[in-house]
Amino acid sequence: MIQKVDVPVTALGVFDHQKRSLVFEKVLWEGRSYEIKKLGYHHNFRRGRTLYHVFSLVSENLFFRLVLDTESLTMRVMEIADENAD
Amino acid sequence: MQTDPSAHSMNSGQASSGQVFCRNEPTVLHIDLNSCFATIEQQANPFWRGKPLAVAAYDSPRGCIIAASVEAKKTGIKVGMRVGEGKIIFPRLVVVTPDPDKYRAVHKQLLRILENYDPEPYAKSIDEFVLKPVRGAIKKVGQEIKNRLKDEVGEWMRASVGISTNRWLAKMAAGQVKPDGLTVIDKSNFLEYYRKWQLTDLTGIKNANMVRLNRLGIFTTMDFYKAEVGKLRAAFEAITGYYWHLRLRGLEPDKEEWGRKSFGNSFALPKPFSQLVNLAPILMKLTEKMAFRMRRAGYCTNGIHVGILYRDGSFWHKGRKLFTECFDSRELYQKAVKLLAGSNLGKPVHTLSVSCFDLVEKKNTQLSLLDDRIKSEKFIKAVDNINERWGDFVISPARMLGIGDYVKDRVGFGNIGI
Repeated sequence: MIQKVDVPVTALGVFDHQKRSLVFEKVLWEGRSYEIKKLGYHHNFRRGRTLYHVFSLVSENLFFRLVLDTESLTMRVMEIADENAD
Repeated sequence: MQTDPSAHSMNSGQASSGQVFCRNEPTVLHIDLNSCFATIEQQANPFWRGKPLAVAAYDSPRGCIIAASVEAKKTGIKVGMRVGEGKIIFPRLVVVTPDPDKYRAVHKQLLRILENYDPEPYAKSIDEFVLKPVRGAIKKVGQEIKNRLKDEVGEWMRASVGISTNRWLAKMAAGQVKPDGLTVIDKSNFLEYYRKWQLTDLTGIKNANMVRLNRLGIFTTMDFYKAEVGKLRAAFEAITGYYWHLRLRGLEPDKEEWGRKSFGNSFALPKPFSQLVNLAPILMKLTEKMAFRMRRAGYCTNGIHVGILYRDGSFWHKGRKLFTECFDSRELYQKAVKLLAGSNLGKPVHTLSVSCFDLVEKKNTQLSLLDDRIKSEKFIKAVDNINERWGDFVISPARMLGIGDYVKDRVGFGNIGI
């Protein structure tokens, strides 16, 4: 099931300056900790001049779409989905 | 578009079979991302990989499927179907709504890869590119691009590559093996393909053109290939017949790409509106979007066109030339709404579209005795700058109030929207 949400989220990750990549390790959401297994895709876009980074991540059984607002430096989860279609 | 015919005769020769085909080695590479939007969604969400997935304008049962994954296509789900129809075929079909920013990001990433092989790759649409690699064996380049797509964009990304001596044949070659194919069509094997292709398999030949060819006794691709130039000119009643003569011989009639011809936006209405009072705000927003894109690309227009697809399947459209070049959304809206008022109002509308044509590059402003056009232009630029800085429609006409999220960002093929 795909669920649209728009709430602040806590994410733990490591930025590797040599690879210039951000590797997520955990997402803390609704009182639970989800270990991140894979980054599906990372892209960015602008709304006006504000740059947003979008991280499509999966844990053992949940998909998270995290959006980082580079102006306010806040991270929000915008979408979650499980393995089922609906 | 056309080039000197004598130049082509220099490069064509008799193949061993006695047939004429370009003697040169293939130089054109066409790359086509397979099931583009659906594959990108599967790349982003690994849970969806290997599953039938559809990207649809809306995820409701009447939403139109605009992309189907390779797995969905295998079940019989096709682009253009309704979500409800897709779910009848495969009840566990994953349906997602479009994410244009993500698709544009992949487009840009692939474009950057291609620039390593050709300084000016041509983006035919968001998922198709044509290039002429300047170094390396072309087949090796094709394989390398496919590998880099997986390494640098994502391991689930797949593309079909076609290689040939002209753009049209390269595109045809790319369509031979899907997904993930790499096909070369040249003087050694073109007849194998011509013998198996139906006329309507050819890009650019659909029913109307097939009928034209049939009238002159051309029923197969081999007939088409063997036909004299004069016969083809007669069939198409235009120079197009000569272009086909060249294409089928592996020569290049499509060398130059024309500049931008028009800008347009359309919207499939979620409710069956039929009155001007409901349609006018949507037309306003469509016109704003269209005019903003036109101005950003540095054009102004000499013509405006409005089209309506009604829910009963009928279609109405009307265009008109403008007296002076126009760049102002408000002026364009005034012209467009007059056209709309002259349509068959009262019938429920399915899709409303507006476009501008006869574009000219914006250089100097034509002054008017009646209006201060320079002041007007400065005002429009200021509004555009604010909207670019703070996001689309931060400042928008009052007429657009209340239409909310109508006319969302969509990625149309042919418009990469960058």
